[in-house]
Formats: sequence, C-alpha cells, structure tokens
Amino acid sequence: MKTNTRIILICSGKGGVGKTTLTANLGIALARQGLKTAVLDADFGLRNLDLLLGLENRIVYTAQEVLEESCRLDQALVKHKKEPNLALLPAGNPRMLEWIKPDDMQRIASMLSEQFEYVLIDCPAGVEDGFKNAVSAAKEAIVVTNPEVSAVRDADRVIGLLNTHGISPVQLVLNRVRPKMIASQEMLSVDDVTDILSLPLLGLVLEDEQVIVSTNRGEPLTLNGTNSPAARCYSNIARRMQGEEIPLIDPSKEGSGIRDKFRRLMQTKIF
Amino acid sequence: MTDNQLEKQTIKLPSCRKADWKNSLPLTINKLRPGVIDLDCRDWLLGCRELKQLNLLFQQAGIKIDIIKSNITETIISASALGYQTYLNLEQSDDFSSELGRNQLRLKNNSDVFFHQETLRAGEHLEIEGDVLLLGDVNPGARISARGNVMIWGRLRGIAHAGKDGDNSAKIIALQLRPLQLRIANEVARGPKEAPEPGLAEEAYLDSGKIVITPASTKPFKAE
Ligand SMILES: Nc1ncnc2c1ncn2[C@@H]1O[C@H](COP(=O)(O)OP(=O)(O)O)[C@@H](O)[C@H]1O
Ligand SMILES: [Mg+2]
Repeated sequence: MKTNTRIILICSGKGGVGKTTLTANLGIALARQGLKTAVLDADFGLRNLDLLLGLENRIVYTAQEVLEESCRLDQALVKHKKEPNLALLPAGNPRMLEWIKPDDMQRIASMLSEQFEYVLIDCPAGVEDGFKNAVSAAKEAIVVTNPEVSAVRDADRVIGLLNTHGISPVQLVLNRVRPKMIASQEMLSVDDVTDILSLPLLGLVLEDEQVIVSTNRGEPLTLNGTNSPAARCYSNIARRMQGEEIPLIDPSKEGSGIRDKFRRLMQTKIF
Repeated sequence: MTDNQLEKQTIKLPSCRKADWKNSLPLTINKLRPGVIDLDCRDWLLGCRELKQLNLLFQQAGIKIDIIKSNITETIISASALGYQTYLNLEQSDDFSSELGRNQLRLKNNSDVFFHQETLRAGEHLEIEGDVLLLGDVNPGARISARGNVMIWGRLRGIAHAGKDGDNSAKIIALQLRPLQLRIANEVARGPKEAPEPGLAEEAYLDSGKIVITPASTKPFKAE
C-alpha cells in the first residue's frame, strides 16, 4: 500500500453546499495536473457524483460488488474518457447504507491508495453513520461551506467531529461567494466565516451560473478549460493542494462585468 | 519528587502594592544563579505581553521559568496560554491588596479548577463540577457549564452556564462576551446584541436576581 496517497474527505454537514461539485471539479483539475486521482462516492443515499462527471451510463459495477468480492476493483472503476488520470468508484445501491461499516470504507480506501495519488471522498450530508463511515477512511478533510449562518454552524459541528476522529489537516473551502452581497453586508464575509471556523482557507469559489450549466451537461467546469470565475477558483484550489502558493481572490475586487468595474472605479474616486 | 525539583528555587515577585516593576526586578534577577525556577507572581495581574517581558528578563540572566504560580486566575490563564505549567495559589496571601481582591474573580477554596485547552465547536458541551478555565473559544451552538465559575480565555459566542447547581455567586468571564445566552444559577438572559468593545474582557454575574454584564474589573498591569 502506498502510504503517501492523500485520502481527503470532502464534507460539510449541511446538504447542498457544493461538496459533490467540488469533488468532481477537483478530481478533474488534479487529474489534469497529471496526478492519478480517484473519486469515491460515499453518498450512497443520494449518489450523484457519477452524474456530475457524466459517467452515469458507463457504470457496470460499484463499490458494493467490490466489497462483496464479486468483481475486482479495476472492473468497478470508471475511467474518465477525456481525463484518463481520473477514475470514479461509484456508490452501490442505497441499501448499502444498511450494512456498510467503517471497516468496509477503510478497505476500499486502502485498495484505492495502491493505485492512486489522490483519493477524494464525496461525503454524505449529516453527521450520522454515513459520515462516520466516510470519515473512518480519510486522513485529511476539506470542509465546504457557504457564507450562510446555518451552513457555517453545521460546518463547525463537523470540524469538531473531524478533530475527534484525528483527521488532519482540515482545510476550508468557502463556496458560492457573492461579492455584491458581501459588499452590501447581506451575506457573511470571508472573515466572518474564518473567524468562527478558524481553519486554514484553502480557497473561495465564486457563485457562478456556469456551475449549474456544467452540472446539467455532466462536464465539470475544470474539464473544458473555460475561464469562468468558478472554474478559475477550482483550478486554484487544486494547485494549492499541490503546494503552489496562489493568492486568494479578493471578493471586493471581483465584479461580473464592466459596469461593476466602472462602479468600483467611481467608488474609489469618491472616497 | 526528583532531586531536580527539590533544588529548584521559587522566586516570589514582591507584592504588587509595594513593587516597582522597572527598578526592583532586574536587580533581583541579577542576583540569581542561572537555572530553572518556579515563579510565584502572587497578586500581580499579568497578561501575555507582560509575562513575555518577564520571561525575557529571566532569559537574559540564563534562567528558565518552569512553573508559574499566582493568586490571580487571569495571570494563570495568560501563563497557560503561553504554554507554562501553572499553579493557582488558593490560600490568600496576608498582604493581598483588598482593593484588588474585591475585584478579582476569587476561586472558592477547595474547588477544583478544570483547564480545557480547545475551542468548543457547535454541538459540543463541556460540563464541569467546579470552576472551569477554557483556553479557546465557545463557538455559536456550543455550550459550557460549571458548578462554579466559567472563565474563558477566548470568545464566548455560544451558551455559558455558571453555578449550574444553583450557586448565585458564580461568574462568567470572557475576553469577548458575546453569547447567545447566559445562565447563572437559575437565571437566564439573552446575550447583548451589540458587539463588545474589542480587547475588553467582560464578566457577567447576578445582581439582585438579574444577570448583568460589566467590563471585567481588572486594570491590566503596564510596564512603563
Ligand atoms: N459556486 C457555485 N455557483 C453556483 N451554483 C453552485 C455552486 N456550487 C454549487 N452550486 C449548485 O448547488 C447545488 C448543490 O451542489 P452539490 O455539489 O450537489 O452540493 P452537495 O453535494 O453538498 O449536496 C447544485 O445545484 C450546484 O449546481
Ligand atoms: Mg452531494
């Protein structure tokens, strides 16, 4: 077993904050850097990592058959056609929830770590069994949250649990950042969030309609090299994970168009 | 006990009523042999910055501070925050300034002080049968409760309950007191809406049956 494989849990507590989207985009971005990367769908109840990656129709076997030893790991792994460094290990059917144990997740993770440099685990929402199974397989974690009080509260809860499980390092990704709303103080600022969570900030991801478009197409933004705001954010995060020092974006300097830039110019003149 | 510990000297700072930090201390220190000492800070109220300055003075004389003792909880908190082993003198010294003493958060004799060094995060609950000193924050959604006093070297943004078994004299003190809710004995109060002045420790206690919050009655000792 390779010991230097980075097995990273992507979790949030709250649902719908962007875990699966982050997992898919980071998976692709890391693979594009030439790193052998596996993404593991641990959200057995609401699996949709396959969908976001556009791999749904190519699934033959899943983690379930691997655990039952009715197929080999490489038979279950779905390689991405455009990005062969990336493979998905799909979640089995939701009934897996009834019998899967932390041991099983650890077995899968250690099998994956023999062939891959990165294993990203898409964690289910909540802090119950699904979370506990997934966390038992991971070494590090990325906590995803949104600049909303309830998402931050749930993230805080999860960070406490990650600490008790001895997961380290734990880093933060703040998703769906809307510079305008922060500027008008309708949304928590980046500082508000890091002040409570006190975790190293791995990156910000801007709110971006392209995320939704790409989700529906089954082509993560990082795949086609677009330069949409969120795509840049995801690639930066992947590069930071590899130790590159890339400054964080400053939400107050991000505008969607020429009008914002003009307005900012006006503001700086006036004040 | 090891020989080493037997040999170790305890240096007492002069009582804070009489002393003059700048003049007397370097003299005292220069008379000492290099080595390891325990430092009894007595009734000095020392923050992290002051303790660091003190440590520097000792360091220059080749002396390493092992344990910091004090009568004052705030000094103990600062020392612990800097990573020193600490010891709280429970018996009140004779020359203890009554003026200061009234304002200090006094620990009840024979009560256990429990140290906990970690931020409490949402969903966590620390419950202590005695006084508790927390080195870290209490985040929104977290709870800390104690039979005695709750002292937080950090920010209180969750719920704190002092005197949980009915002790009306219990207090809550924090570097930043901005709780969702405060409880002392059987009284409950919602936290204040407005943000406290930064850098000002505050305390909450029962005054004729009502929870009141005031700036912690401590005037930080300043090196001139
Ligand atoms: N940066 C973003 N900008 C716009 N929409 C986003 C962004 N990140 C996520 N979304 C949308 O939020 C929804 C939930 O995302 P998803 O990754 O499925 O969350 P989770 O896996 O945490 O439940 C999806 O519809 C997704 O398209
Ligand atoms: Mg998901």
